Amino acid sequence: MFFGRSVNVSRYDVQKHPIFEKLIEKQLSFFWRPEEVDLSTDRSDFTHLPEHEKHIFLSNLKYQTLLDSIQGRSPNVALLPIVSLPELETWIETWAFSETIHSRSYTHIIRNIMNEPSVVFDDIVTNDAIIKRAEAITQHYDALIEGVNYYNNLGEGQHQINGQTINVSVRELKKTLYLTLMSVNVLEAIRFYVSFACSFAFAERSTMEGNAKIIKLIARDEALHLTGTQHILQLMADGKDDPEMVEIAHELRNEARQIFIDAAEQEKDWAEYLFQNGSMIGLNKDILCQYVEYITNQRMTTLGFEPAFAISQNPLPWMNSWLNSDNVQVAPQEVEVSSYLVGQIDSEVQSEDFSNFSL
Amino acid sequence: MANIVKIMEGFSFIPRTELNLLEALESQNIDIDYQCREGFCGSCQVQLVDGEVEYFSDPIAYVPEGRILPCCCQAKGDLTVEIPGGCHVKK
Repeated sequence: MFFGRSVNVSRYDVQKHPIFEKLIEKQLSFFWRPEEVDLSTDRSDFTHLPEHEKHIFLSNLKYQTLLDSIQGRSPNVALLPIVSLPELETWIETWAFSETIHSRSYTHIIRNIMNEPSVVFDDIVTNDAIIKRAEAITQHYDALIEGVNYYNNLGEGQHQINGQTINVSVRELKKTLYLTLMSVNVLEAIRFYVSFACSFAFAERSTMEGNAKIIKLIARDEALHLTGTQHILQLMADGKDDPEMVEIAHELRNEARQIFIDAAEQEKDWAEYLFQNGSMIGLNKDILCQYVEYITNQRMTTLGFEPAFAISQNPLPWMNSWLNSDNVQVAPQEVEVSSYLVGQIDSEVQSEDFSNFSL
Repeated sequence: MANIVKIMEGFSFIPRTELNLLEALESQNIDIDYQCREGFCGSCQVQLVDGEVEYFSDPIAYVPEGRILPCCCQAKGDLTVEIPGGCHVKK
């Protein structure tokens, strides 16, 4: 999948891992635009929120804006130079593109509820609580991008650059790649869901519902992206791709596990920051922290890790119905029925299909 | 033919044939996570202890060995499943 021969012609007639084409098709059938969702009632809802709830709402939006800024860019920058399968290359591009829709929808939301949107966006890069987490998210990406640059320019071996000695080895790069993918998985599996929980908690009390509709569409995309990274990671660990990756996955098992646990702790700190001025109806710091633990356990078991926390029952059962995209409802004349876009007709006809006919 | 679905640490029931396994479990008021209900998110996965299921569409989600995705399959014969986190009935 990575560090093989470069991709060359974008051909999909022979595929090593057909799952990525399925992911591409699914993602394309999900296409939506933020403008489809009407946010006019959200504006008045927002002005009626008490100050501490405005803080919760805006902080989450800021954080999500940051996450999607990273995800709209970094998979392309970090992964495309080293990818070696056209179907995976296209999946990465499709994936990053859908993140750009998310970024645009945050601007759409903030433009609709605030008189001065720039106040919100300007704070993202100066807010300590956000910066602290951003560093944890981007460090693996940064290491991979830097390493791959050296590798492409200089090749393997020891090099002197600006008086510094730099060692480039493909095995080390593969290790960085594995950890990067793991932290991306965590970003999409755990970090997003903290914000989702808050958005849906507002909508549970019938306020900020336009926002919740957009978040629902985003959650649907994120679930698919999560599936994508889970497949990549598991193909690596199962030895269905690069045999060296199997060893690396085995070697880095503890570090990978720690990425999950660290992310869960950081998200719990974030919950503390969110509710610093007071809880909101239906959600408080403790419940949100339990939810983080629950969802972390779930994601860990899917990838074959021992769960890290004791909790076994979902503390926010109402999240299920909000996360289910079947009840996404936009204005009927603007609805894009996604099922029309997928190949729904079985076009294979065998002679036994006519066995019921008689002339 | 009616198939029996047995839930570990829970009870057994006979699902109606028109339901997929997820709907069947829900019809028994079982607490089970779900998200997409069409096979791409993997939220509803359960452990298959015994028996066989028939998928009516191939799941896109990554499903680990030994697990099944109830939202896009039905019991092919008698079945034993284990729900992660245990069998909880909604009040």
